[in-house]
Amino acid sequence: MFGLIGHSSSFAQAQEKARDLGLEEMAEADLLSWCSAPPQLLETFEVTSKTGATIQGTYIDSCFVPEMLSRFKTATRKVQNAMELAQKNGINVTALGGFTSIIFENYDLSKFQQIRNTTLEWERFTTGNTHTAWVICQQVETNAPLLGIDLSQAKVAVVGATGDIGSAVCRWLSQKTGVGELLLVARQQQRLTDLQESLGGGRILTLEEALPEADVVVWVASLPQTLTIDQGSLRKPCLMIDGGYPKNLDAKVAGEGVHVLKGGIVEFWQDISWQMMEVVEMENPKRQLFACFAEAMLLEFEGIHTNFSWGRNRISIANMELIGEASLRHGFRAIGLNQSPTSSGNPDLELAAA
Amino acid sequence: MATLEATDVPTAGASLPDFTCANYKDAYSRINAIVIEGEQEAHDNYISIGTLLPDQADELTKLARMEMKHMKGFTACANNLGVTADMAFAKEFFAPLHGNFQKALAEGKVPTCLLIQALLIEAFAISAYHIYIPVADPFARKITEGVVKDEYTHLNYGEVWLKANLDNCREELEEANRENLPLIRRMLDQVAGDAAVLHMDKEDLIEDFLIAYQEALTEIGFSTREIARMAAAALVG
Repeated sequence: MFGLIGHSSSFAQAQEKARDLGLEEMAEADLLSWCSAPPQLLETFEVTSKTGATIQGTYIDSCFVPEMLSRFKTATRKVQNAMELAQKNGINVTALGGFTSIIFENYDLSKFQQIRNTTLEWERFTTGNTHTAWVICQQVETNAPLLGIDLSQAKVAVVGATGDIGSAVCRWLSQKTGVGELLLVARQQQRLTDLQESLGGGRILTLEEALPEADVVVWVASLPQTLTIDQGSLRKPCLMIDGGYPKNLDAKVAGEGVHVLKGGIVEFWQDISWQMMEVVEMENPKRQLFACFAEAMLLEFEGIHTNFSWGRNRISIANMELIGEASLRHGFRAIGLNQSPTSSGNPDLELAAA
Repeated sequence: MATLEATDVPTAGASLPDFTCANYKDAYSRINAIVIEGEQEAHDNYISIGTLLPDQADELTKLARMEMKHMKGFTACANNLGVTADMAFAKEFFAPLHGNFQKALAEGKVPTCLLIQALLIEAFAISAYHIYIPVADPFARKITEGVVKDEYTHLNYGEVWLKANLDNCREELEEANRENLPLIRRMLDQVAGDAAVLHMDKEDLIEDFLIAYQEALTEIGFSTREIARMAAAALVG
């Protein structure tokens, strides 16, 4: 059995979902009440690989919503309690989706292994970041040429380069893809210098310096609401992979030769009989899902019951290759420009797909 | 990856309150009284349930005896801090739940009695004790750690009986849940201020209680959707 820990993308959406599930009291309750709502195991379902293997999965909603981010104790409790619920249900490997892994990492929750009478077993959990990083790299490699961008000559900016996914993407693009030049953008200078050293290359730039130079921009940092991007200063064409969470880049920059693709999203080869992906507004919720969730499925298919993606900056090329091969074998593929969940109503992307 | 900027990130581990200050003792006089009264009522309730289930009276008497032991332990905690428990407050605090239990008892409703005592009150106690232990004074901490292990046994007793009889009492349990779960929520709201003085957070108390209660409902055999629906009744006071 594999597990997915997810949450709604806003409080309003969580209330709507509660109403759909017939939980009227929760739909009516205010945010403060939701802060005390326990995690819910909402769904169990089967997934059948292209190889014919079938596994069982479970979706746990942590009852966290992004509006709780400013409340350290609440956010922490939601993550820990959802993980405890997963473990108590005997789930072999559970992916921490959305903000779950971000909260875990940022608040260093590995220091708190004891939850009431349960000792959390880390080997039962994965951030899913290895698969996410691999999928983002596939999205760069597949979609840049479609826009006429020659990756061997291209400048590829990675925004959030020193993060877990960002550093893995940098390693892959420099060692496997062989891009023209890597532009490294992140907030912490020391980490950037360390990364540059470990990569043996790449140029450290500020966001403002990097954007006008970049043919491809991989965003693996969440964007502040206040961020503004001068669309006119960007190169045309420019491929932007929005691999951050939440995905809010499209509204800021898409259009006029700037092509935004939702990063780290995969599509399964057949429908999955679940309802939960509808709440994250995938274009095809029966088949599309976050790559981090898919990693839990892949680990279960492959019988790899270990915390495959865990801690910071430990993602190896070898593990990316391993999970990537499994991903293709079991029937996942990274979504591309012609099937982005944002493509409806966006003439620019439809043009790109044509 | 996003960097999170919460406003209430603790700078160190959980800080302990000043157990000797008047404010602490005042709050403790009510919280401690609730615990003592809760254990006393638990004792009485298990004995009463034994009258409805004569073949299990021995087992229930054993559980009741454990509750009396707990009550004595918590009385010692108050003495240790030089606090007099406010028993009048505690009696009033439990009155609505006590009333519901007595009514169910008079009507011979075993499932309702067990839901109130063996599920709701035990889950309430387990969650509160778990949250209290890290911020308790050393004497009370040791006693509470011993008690919490016992309480799981009591929760388990209710689970086993209700699981075996679920087919015959599903509707009664759902109704009992609707009537009594909001009472627990109100009781938690009522002591939130005093609990905060003891460094016990209301949000933690409610969520941990609901987790323990949901686990019990899972064990009994309710589906995940049914459980979510039943627990939601606690979110509106």
